[in-house]
Amino acid sequence: MLSETPDNETSDAARWARLIEAVAVRRDREAFAALFRHFAPRIKTFMQRSGAGEQLADELAQEALFAVWSKASLFDPGSAGAAAWIFTIARNLRIDALRRQKRTPTSDTSETELEFQRDEGPLPDTGVAASEIEARVRDALSVLPEEQMRVIELSFFHETAHAEIARALNIPLGTVKSRLRLAMARLRSLLDDFS
Amino acid sequence: MTVHHHPPDELLAMFAAGTADLGQQIGIATHLVGCAKCRAVVRAMEHVGGAILTGLPPTAMSDGALEAMERRLDETSLTSIPERRRGQAFRDVPGLPNFLDSYPDSPWRWIAPKVHLRSIRLPEPSATRVFLLKSSPGTRMIEHTHTGFEMTCVLSGSFVHAGGHFGPGDFDFGDGSVDHDVRINSTEDCICLVAMQGDLKLNGMIGRLLQPLIRM
Repeated sequence: MLSETPDNETSDAARWARLIEAVAVRRDREAFAALFRHFAPRIKTFMQRSGAGEQLADELAQEALFAVWSKASLFDPGSAGAAAWIFTIARNLRIDALRRQKRTPTSDTSETELEFQRDEGPLPDTGVAASEIEARVRDALSVLPEEQMRVIELSFFHETAHAEIARALNIPLGTVKSRLRLAMARLRSLLDDFS
Repeated sequence: MTVHHHPPDELLAMFAAGTADLGQQIGIATHLVGCAKCRAVVRAMEHVGGAILTGLPPTAMSDGALEAMERRLDETSLTSIPERRRGQAFRDVPGLPNFLDSYPDSPWRWIAPKVHLRSIRLPEPSATRVFLLKSSPGTRMIEHTHTGFEMTCVLSGSFVHAGGHFGPGDFDFGDGSVDHDVRINSTEDCICLVAMQGDLKLNGMIGRLLQPLIRM
């Protein structure tokens, strides 16, 4: 394992980005192993909470890290945070896995990634670095009330989630929606600061 | 392009989380083509996803997973990431997300006076139907009710209803309500992408006569 940086989230984010760059530029196995040890077990949890069985979750976590290895050169630290980038890889694999269950075995399932490519135009030029946005999003999340955070968190795990969230948290559907709206409004006001 | 009407934040969150179904995803992706502001919101939600991911408790990987991966890396050459094959479908309609060009194309079909429809057939079963709708200037849309939601993305031209004026880039979200009196108020054809869940019910006698034509 590479030397641990101080237990500080911002430097963590910078460290993950450096490791991905080391993989991209030098095919650095040590850096890759560090990424694997940190992210694979968490992606496995992510997949299991999304309904995958233990074995499928394990395989998807491995596929995600393999994608980190093979796509590392596409990682742009200027526009994406490391954790966000790895999240999008895991998300797309999860969608692919769900689609494989729905589609005929012969049909092409590699489209997900394309569907999320927003190459149609640049993001507004905020003059704010991705790492800065990431830090601010994290700050905003850390001050969200627990109940709003729970709703956001769960909404990342379920398909058409709101009714299920309401059941899981034992609160009315309307409450889920209003909490999610509040949380999103908070994030949005944060973004409006950039533009 | 100045965009005035955006998708509700919950839809952008679902899109970023990957919990929208394919039809919804196409509706939102179409809006994102023309709206940098919503692209930034989606990006922020992806950061939220990253924060959630790193905050999850780890689950032990299967024995020897890392070693197996390292052997796999030894055997893998990273010569090229395959170029995506580009199709031609829907290339004649500006403002659609690029990935639709590999979908099966389909022709415009007449469905009502001055209204044409073009299906976008999804490669997987989806509760959401997606199609393009082209209406000539001055057309009043047939009054209709939907049982689910309806996303409408304006690609060219414009329309107006009680909720305001909708031009290119704008996103109209209908939620199980009745739209009265939608009128095309541009001098050119108004082309929209519609993603719709539930049944569309046309009201009135003309609507009932046209109903069988609309069914897809």
